[in-house]
Amino acid sequence: MVNPLLVLDLVERTGALPVGGTTTVPLGEHAREHETELVASWCERTGNELVGVRDGVATVRRGRSPDPFAELAPDQVPGTRLWIYTNFDCNLACDYCCVRSSPQAARRAVGADKVAQLADEAADAGVSELILTGGEPFLLPDLDDLVAACTARLPTTLLTNAMLFRGRRLQMLQRMHRDRLVLQVSLDSATPELHDRHRGARSWERAVAGIRIAQAEGFRVRVAATLEPERFTELEPFRAFLDTLGIARGDQVIRALAHRGVAESGLELTLESLIPEITVTADGVYWHPVSADHDDHLVTRELFPLRDAIDEVRRRFVEIRARADAAAQWFPCA
Amino acid sequence: MSTPLIIGSVAYTPNVVTIWEGMRDYFAGGPAEMDFVLYSNYGRQVDALLAGHIDIAWNTNLAWVRTVAQTGGECRALAQRDTDTVFQTIFVARAGSALGGLEGLKGRRLALGSQDSAQAAILPVHYLRQAGLTSGGDGGGDVELLRINSDVGKHGDTGRSELDALRAVVEDRADAAALGVNTWEAIGRDELMPGAFEVFWESPTYSHCNFTALPTLDDERVAPWVAQLLAMDFDNPAHRPILEMEGLRQWVLPKLDGYASLFEAVEEQGISPRW
Repeated sequence: MVNPLLVLDLVERTGALPVGGTTTVPLGEHAREHETELVASWCERTGNELVGVRDGVATVRRGRSPDPFAELAPDQVPGTRLWIYTNFDCNLACDYCCVRSSPQAARRAVGADKVAQLADEAADAGVSELILTGGEPFLLPDLDDLVAACTARLPTTLLTNAMLFRGRRLQMLQRMHRDRLVLQVSLDSATPELHDRHRGARSWERAVAGIRIAQAEGFRVRVAATLEPERFTELEPFRAFLDTLGIARGDQVIRALAHRGVAESGLELTLESLIPEITVTADGVYWHPVSADHDDHLVTRELFPLRDAIDEVRRRFVEIRARADAAAQWFPCA
Repeated sequence: MSTPLIIGSVAYTPNVVTIWEGMRDYFAGGPAEMDFVLYSNYGRQVDALLAGHIDIAWNTNLAWVRTVAQTGGECRALAQRDTDTVFQTIFVARAGSALGGLEGLKGRRLALGSQDSAQAAILPVHYLRQAGLTSGGDGGGDVELLRINSDVGKHGDTGRSELDALRAVVEDRADAAALGVNTWEAIGRDELMPGAFEVFWESPTYSHCNFTALPTLDDERVAPWVAQLLAMDFDNPAHRPILEMEGLRQWVLPKLDGYASLFEAVEEQGISPRW
């Protein structure tokens, strides 16, 4: 039988806490599993929260921590959007690519069948938008089938460098669903210099031409720029240029360079500092698209059932937020 | 804006601040605004009420009885929690003790909470007496009492000494313990740890805390305050956290006959009307 003194200690220690405060209780060496269950049951019954158990010590919060999902914008709630890395090979070798894509990178394609299954399961799991990225998705010979499987189930965004819209690949683009698909094109500057420095000679000119082709084909085009954090103070000329391309302000996405992949600098990102955006690759499910080639952000190698992976990401997010709250309790500065 | 009513409360946990700041916010902008003052024990609070430093005291049952004694019965109770109308004292022993009722305590040791705890000391002795049992310390009487005065002055909010009484049972320093039903609930009754404790007697229900005022406080000021208090709604997300922390679902008008047993106990035991 578990030690009843444990519960008496729990009641006394939490009773002395302000709501939101945490305390610890040591668990017995020989009945640790049972005592952990007892603490969890007591917390559930009394409206408190078991923050965690480490090294035989249970940490308990008075009251329940605030719902971390309630603090997020609706489109930030994990499981609202699903990213899929269709492939990792690319016609470019950008010097800051967060997933190390290049012409030499192995394709590591998810494959049309699995993408279709992901789209089905995502819709059933409550995902409201699919986002396809790479690598360069237009290198895939069956991209149009793959996109059709996605747009048949959910609104979809397809990330591309827009440099390959000719011949067979242009025909693939033309077969895609204009009302259910948004094209998101990478473009970093209003003039070629900066963009080409990171992405390769003449890439700016071809990307701008690709944007115009996509628009002429009747697609909504969003532009996403990847910038060093210090360049965020000089955005207006770039935005003005995008205005001339007919890109709505709401479709002008500026994101900071992350110190991931082959990038030599940029924002340091951790599980704790990133709101998860569930991301599937051929290798597994990851915390966020910016770290989809990094094992420290791998959630599971199992792609299916997708709902389990979504649940696991949400569970970890709640755990991380609770741990951060507890740490804040432990380290008051004044 | 009218002059706010000043409510006194005893700071027995840090959450008392959160509770009364929430209450103050709830009453703000209404017809009967309030503020609050915290005291370290009920003796100080009742003295402050009698001296006119506060308008209303959030009193335990013993503080109510003592205020009645010191005002010659002129004070009045304004409202209480729904849970205050059905409070109980629970007698528990180690599971399997098979004491069968209060008479099973004959020749045994009963652990009590702090001496000024109505539910864990004063009323338990009263219930023993009603059952025809005498009691005292060091083996005097039918039932030996082990008094654990861990939180004297907080009477009514004597959770710590009640837990200490249960520890005495676990550690075989006592055969049984008397505690408030709120503490019994807090440890999960006998459902969370089957095989640890069992209840062998439950008291009739009685009244616990109430808001106490002197007759000098105008009805014109009291009535809108009580009306607004009773309007707090457990289903309202803005009200609910405060109500949960204070341990109620609904504020209700006081049930005064629920204090009869404590008045009797105080008289039997010669408990003084002052501290």
